[in-house]
Amino acid sequence: MSFNDWLPLLVLSTSLFAAFIIFGLREWQHRWREAINLFAAVAKIVLVAYMGWGVAEGIEYETRFQLTPELAFVLRADSLTIAFAGLSSLLWLCTTIYAIGYLEDSPNRSRFFGFFSFCVASTLGVALAGNLFTFLVFYEILTLSTYPLVVHRGTEKALRAGRTYVAYALAGGAVLLIAVAWLHHLVGDLDFIAGGQLVNSAVADDGALIAIFALLIVGLGVKAALVPLHSWLPQAMVAPAPVSALLHAVAVVKAGVFGMVRVVYDLYGVHFASDLGVLEPLAWVAAATIIYGSVQALLQSDLKRRLAYSTVSQVSYVTLGITLFGPLGTIGGVVHLIHQGLMKITLFFCAGNYAETLGVHGVRALDGAGRRMPWTSMAFTVAAFGMIGAPPLAGFISKWYLGQAAVAADMHFMVWVLVVSTVLNAAYFLPIVYRLWFRSQPADWPHERIWGRHETSLWLLLPTLATAFFVIVAGVFAGVAFSPLSWSIFMAEDVYGL
Amino acid sequence: MMLLSLTLLLPLVLLLGAVWRPWRERLVWVLLPAALPALALALLADDALSLSLPSLLTGLEFGLDGLRRYFLLLGALLWVLAGGFATAYLRTDERRGRFAVFWLLTMTGNLGLILAFDLVGFYTAFVLMTFSGYGLVVHTATPEAIRAGRIYLVMAVLGEGALLAGLFHAAALSDSLLLSDIRQTIAAAGAPNLIISMLLLGFGVKAGMALLHFWLPLAHPVAPTPASAVLSGVMIKAGLLGWILFLPFGELALPGWGGLMIAVGVLGSLGAAFVGVTQDSPKTILAYSSISQMGLMLILLGVALAVPDAAPALLVGVAFYALHHGLAKGALFMSTAVMPTTSGWPRHALWLAVVWPGLALMGAPLSSGASAKIAVKSALPESLPDVFLGDWVKPLLSVGAIATTVLVMHLLMVLRDQKKAGSTERALSAFWLLTVGSGALLLWFTPWPEALPMHSGLNSGDAAELLWPMAVGVVLYGLWLGSGVRLRIPAADLLVLPEAVMRVLARRVSQARRGGRLFEDWLIDRVHRLGERVLAGQPSLERLERAMRRQSAALFMLILLIFSAIAVAVLLL
Repeated sequence: MSFNDWLPLLVLSTSLFAAFIIFGLREWQHRWREAINLFAAVAKIVLVAYMGWGVAEGIEYETRFQLTPELAFVLRADSLTIAFAGLSSLLWLCTTIYAIGYLEDSPNRSRFFGFFSFCVASTLGVALAGNLFTFLVFYEILTLSTYPLVVHRGTEKALRAGRTYVAYALAGGAVLLIAVAWLHHLVGDLDFIAGGQLVNSAVADDGALIAIFALLIVGLGVKAALVPLHSWLPQAMVAPAPVSALLHAVAVVKAGVFGMVRVVYDLYGVHFASDLGVLEPLAWVAAATIIYGSVQALLQSDLKRRLAYSTVSQVSYVTLGITLFGPLGTIGGVVHLIHQGLMKITLFFCAGNYAETLGVHGVRALDGAGRRMPWTSMAFTVAAFGMIGAPPLAGFISKWYLGQAAVAADMHFMVWVLVVSTVLNAAYFLPIVYRLWFRSQPADWPHERIWGRHETSLWLLLPTLATAFFVIVAGVFAGVAFSPLSWSIFMAEDVYGL
Repeated sequence: MMLLSLTLLLPLVLLLGAVWRPWRERLVWVLLPAALPALALALLADDALSLSLPSLLTGLEFGLDGLRRYFLLLGALLWVLAGGFATAYLRTDERRGRFAVFWLLTMTGNLGLILAFDLVGFYTAFVLMTFSGYGLVVHTATPEAIRAGRIYLVMAVLGEGALLAGLFHAAALSDSLLLSDIRQTIAAAGAPNLIISMLLLGFGVKAGMALLHFWLPLAHPVAPTPASAVLSGVMIKAGLLGWILFLPFGELALPGWGGLMIAVGVLGSLGAAFVGVTQDSPKTILAYSSISQMGLMLILLGVALAVPDAAPALLVGVAFYALHHGLAKGALFMSTAVMPTTSGWPRHALWLAVVWPGLALMGAPLSSGASAKIAVKSALPESLPDVFLGDWVKPLLSVGAIATTVLVMHLLMVLRDQKKAGSTERALSAFWLLTVGSGALLLWFTPWPEALPMHSGLNSGDAAELLWPMAVGVVLYGLWLGSGVRLRIPAADLLVLPEAVMRVLARRVSQARRGGRLFEDWLIDRVHRLGERVLAGQPSLERLERAMRRQSAALFMLILLIFSAIAVAVLLL
């Protein structure tokens, strides 16, 4: 086996090894822990970037272990893998830096960072999974590795949220397992291949394939927070800020929706899925989720809860994108997978900064925070406008492709869903921006902490500024090679064989 | 090329100065120079100019052509002169740093949308201008400013929504995102009603189109005077330019849409003049005058949409009209802040400078207004059969001129009676006079060779045509003053009705508790209270949400059942 055959496994193991080493460290060895964490994060970015370069050149990277004659464990890198893996490794680095600052002097940091790395390893596994079986394995590991992070604080509320999360996630996983087993029984072991596999299979029974599709979507929909399977997500808000950030931007929610992308494009094949008629119902579920999430977000007065419902709404943009048949929909969906991650992680970082520095959790308590924390508030403003879909920010690019895709796919109603969602996004983000900059601070902050010269700890501030910067760059320089947009176009060409 | 890049980049580079506090305070000094490249571009560049930036967004294209040049000249002149005015006006203002930031952003958006050749570039600049404009509107942070800002923002977001829907459809039809191609694609597709209506509404909010205008008499006057000047002088024209660039003028005849635009234009031009005469604040009168003037331009666009052959000449006429109106309106807004308090001959001389832009709006001979009116009238087709109000366009334009005269007379009366002394700052007066002067010069100086020929309106036919509506207007206003009838319509006109209903409700619900609070605060409070009551467990989303959480197992089963039912149904079909 050559280096190329081992590379996917190597990418996976950077964070896996980091996890094991960190578990072995003592609580007080925080310098070592930080060094290992950062080294692994940087190493992973370098490896993924190298692999991305190779994939663009047409090189194949595949690690395959035949477990039984019918079952293989496959890690493979294709263009979709790189999109998701690139996002995760980049944001992992940012979140690690943020978490080091956030958890300074708090207990159980070894446990936290260990599971943190473990969680990223499983996310990478989801990204690299080359067939449904491997995907399922990592999808379940992801549930297990995120639970300790959600309940990290150990409070009653956190434990309750954790229970809800696990109940939802395991139930979803069970449904997914049934679907995978059924499909395996019908057609055997299937690799993810661009263009799909099932169209060539000899299964004459469309009904069974439709039912399996439905089961797959329900199983994945729990993590992707499709309404009505989303209720665990707002509850999981009790987790520490870096966990929420990671959960909402890359790890859990994205794993679910990434699975849907795989199922539609690489398992069923988009043409076949369209012929089966399964895309349109999914589009309606996505549309309902988009609107419902936005309306709920509007009603929340807690900043993190508002952001959580916003995630429910925004992640379904990706689902909507893949159900709008045509290259534009694919581009819009996949690019939003990346853009939403960048924007949402920025917003959660900011929410964490406000909570840690000022002790502010409610939207109404943010009055005048722009003067006290201008950089954080600037980052928040950028990300919020991105979420609304204002050009030239990242969110606009996604919405632009999705809107055109809806027209091209002759689903005009979805244009209105996007427009209404834009207006609702403005309705729940602009009042926050207004409070930050145009209101004056009424009294003292609830729990203010002073960090020397800067508005807050640099560990918290720099990752926030970095991700906000990415939101701008991904939008403004969308036309540059290797931008999220260019990569999504590259991927869509694969899917539609252009 | 250099100038074009500099026009767009210079303000953004200057914005970097906002990062450091001492620089931010001084940023207000660069407002004038920041717009100078645009002025140079408008005066010096040749038409075949373009700048291609394929790696930005979906690929941006900027450039300049004959029609855009009128708008660029207007934008550049006003942003330069009002910029200088703002520097003096805000010299001691506490929040001048913040004002400068919003000013530069708004200006970049405004100039950018004039120069954009592609859809995404145009929309980006449009959005930038809209949202940064909010900062200018609420600058003074008075309760009125906050209220005006809120209404501005709500209308802006709704307008963006409509625009976005129109643009999605238009872009999906077209292979290229160049505005010229988009317009042809819309025409080739038979001008789908959905696209046309969304573009009309989306740009209509910005252009102060009748029925969508009520934010404007609140927002334009409440901003600091230099900001009012650019808001009412040039930013309002962004909506007009949007219509000109997107609607399929000259490609196919759309008498239905044309007639509708004429009708709405007439409503705006006459209705706004009527409401304007009942106002007693000069800036509010000026804002209504802007709505009225935009109504006149909308009538002309309606004709151009109905008669493709007349469109090219009419559009140039409208562009020149916009240029003339923008400069006159900018000058008038500035004069509200520098009303001369000296006595003797300087006072009379300065009064001429107050009156002159007003006369230009009325279309007096020897003013830029005369040239604009003559250009537009000569471009009008002989007859407009099959168009709603088609036969009435020319008489209605004359009625519009009468209405303008009445409104300007009212403005001058209010300015004359104004007790408040204006600023005596020399720099303010200087920039004001420069603005008046550049408007007056328009007639005598053709800014570029291909520009429209100028008419002084002095030959007997033109003069009579121009003067009779003015005479009628003056007489009418005199009669109205003499009659002693005084009406008072609040500045938000159409918004008054729903607001009045709410206010009555408010009083009935709890008179004591309301105290001295603003009505909006009460309303927000209501909405919040309603929200809390909803959340407190009445039939509501929250309950639905909780039910979903509690019954998750049942839900799974239900969803499985539904999906299998679908599967079975598909199988059987």
